[in-house]
Amino acid sequence: MTAETIIQSLASGLLMGLLYGLIAVGLALIFGLMDVVNFAHGEFLMIAMYATFFLFAFFAIDPLLAAPLVAAALFVFGAAVYLLVVRFAVRAKANAGMVQIFSTFGLAIVMRGLAQYFFTPDYRSITHSWLGGKTISVAGIFLPVPQLFGALTAIAAFVALYFFINRTDFGRALEATREDAGAVALVGIDKNRVFALGWGLGAALVGLAGAIMAIFFYVYPDVGASFALIAYVTVALGGFGSVFGAFAGGIIVGLVEATTALILPPSLKSVGIYAVYLLVVFIRPRGLFGSL
Amino acid sequence: MSISRRNVLLGATASAALLPVAARAQTSEVVIGVIYPLSGASAQIGVDAQKAFETAAEIVNKNYDFDLPLARGEGLPGLGGAKVRLVFADHQADPQKGRAEAERLITQEKVCAIIGTYQSAVAVTVSQVCERYGIPFMSADNSSPSLHRRGLKFYFRASPHDEMYSKAMFDFFDAMKKKGTKIETLSLFHEDTIFGTDSGNAQTKLAAERGYKIVSDVKYRANSPSLSAEVQQLKAANADVLMPSSYTTDGILLVKTMGELGYKPPAIVAQDAGFSEKALYDAVGDKLEGVISRGTFSLDLAAKRPMVAKINDMFKEKSGKDLNDYSSRQFMALILMAEAINRAKSTDGEKIRDALAATDIPGEQTIMPWKRVKYDEMGQNNDADPVLLQYVGGKFVTIFPPQAAVAEAIWPMK
Repeated sequence: MTAETIIQSLASGLLMGLLYGLIAVGLALIFGLMDVVNFAHGEFLMIAMYATFFLFAFFAIDPLLAAPLVAAALFVFGAAVYLLVVRFAVRAKANAGMVQIFSTFGLAIVMRGLAQYFFTPDYRSITHSWLGGKTISVAGIFLPVPQLFGALTAIAAFVALYFFINRTDFGRALEATREDAGAVALVGIDKNRVFALGWGLGAALVGLAGAIMAIFFYVYPDVGASFALIAYVTVALGGFGSVFGAFAGGIIVGLVEATTALILPPSLKSVGIYAVYLLVVFIRPRGLFGSL
Repeated sequence: MSISRRNVLLGATASAALLPVAARAQTSEVVIGVIYPLSGASAQIGVDAQKAFETAAEIVNKNYDFDLPLARGEGLPGLGGAKVRLVFADHQADPQKGRAEAERLITQEKVCAIIGTYQSAVAVTVSQVCERYGIPFMSADNSSPSLHRRGLKFYFRASPHDEMYSKAMFDFFDAMKKKGTKIETLSLFHEDTIFGTDSGNAQTKLAAERGYKIVSDVKYRANSPSLSAEVQQLKAANADVLMPSSYTTDGILLVKTMGELGYKPPAIVAQDAGFSEKALYDAVGDKLEGVISRGTFSLDLAAKRPMVAKINDMFKEKSGKDLNDYSSRQFMALILMAEAINRAKSTDGEKIRDALAATDIPGEQTIMPWKRVKYDEMGQNNDADPVLLQYVGGKFVTIFPPQAAVAEAIWPMK
């Protein structure tokens, strides 16, 4: 094992980790806001990837240009999911947790089924795009441009999100609603509106991730599944509800995955991630940056 | 009204008397179960397979002038012209779902035979259920050699397994070496279910026997979100030949990641699966000019056997795709199963099994480049000669063995 191999692995892991963070942050945001785990998160990613693919296939729009459109579309979609599904699920008086789980889980299955019915289960790829297939090579270390761009977008999104939550009125309303939804209603903030916007924002972030992922990953109805699992462990590791935790969690997951594959057979590389998670559970069950 | 013992007896006698009639009436239709991944990560395979089986059923049920068993005339003459009806079941690539669906097909849908399954891991459980119920199982497109070595009586496979395929690859390497090509080191890249594991084992064994050095053996987790670390290892080893055993999803990601990390092996010789799927070439075909894959089928054969082109047209009309290594084997599996049922003149599992065991069909009466179809005592057809195909200019040409080849191999790949 040469130094070059190790540096390359860590670099790949870091880039992938930042993307994992971007995928997971929407999940963390929604959870932090209203304690609901969105089990359809992977399917949100899937439709974002399909949207990017179809914009490319039918209108020849490059994924880079499509990204803001897809994020906007996902914003509307996320808000609609809250208003049409989740809003009713959280009203359940008995077994509230179960009702929430099954409503988003059911949504996931329906979305997957519809995608297979309408889009067929064929694997789709964007063959030519501005960034696709390009690579920067620095001293023998290869950095694929799409992943590099994804990582930079992730960092930019986290910085923007930080300012958004801490410096804007809506961000404060979001924080306040998450602290105490009842008290917020007393001062005249419409809780449903804040929740809907929160879902929209969470979905828009995963939409952004999906648009970038579509550049270098294949798209098919089940594509969300493997990424969603990583998103859940990322959120659990970083701390439920913590936006910064999702960011840090993503980086840790990416790096641990890459290092495990260096030491153990690659078929066991996800073992490293869950081993680290178990370790975190022993020491800090709420996750590294969890504040709950 | 209370039910007396006499009534029960009477009823039982009546049903017993009616039973042969019912059985006879049922044989106007022969129900065959087809079990594939119709949803989930490999749904695309199952959905295409459905079209291949429907094409085969159409050829059996209607009159076609092909030199293929049961093509001429309608239905199964041995059963009074009974038509084949297919019942499809979805195993979602999950061995446990496969087990449950096989049970359902046998006990509820009353199928007389089952064909499947794409994933070898699912074939393991499905064939066990079939064995227990005494229902013949035809493995259409599973390639793990361990499948037929489990002493099952009701297991049959007309197509080759991965040891036969891998042997063809090493025969090819030997032939290339004689011509002066440098092939000394190999990199194996295989997924972690039974397909990839068996394939990797077969290749490791053959490499040792024939004196090739395996410089890296990467076993990876199927459907991985990222393969950078894996490709890193392949690149560091830099073997003369890269030998992947991967399904479509991982195949696409492998080739993309290789491009991103600047890894270009002199040759890729693939264990089929993803590397015979159109989706993979649609996605990354530009990076695969000159890739070699093993196979059992090639459209080249249409030049010698015109029916291959006609059957391909029928399939293409349904699916929008050409027959490939998988759809051709699925197609053949139903034809061969129906042919045996026809000879058995019965839908009884035991009788169909005996008919299958007695199968002897010359290769010319198939759409495959095989010598013949004749199962050994383990249910394996050893006369199914594999071919090696090279992807050149957007299509596959047969390059090995010499008697089937239509072109010389291009080595190294571009």
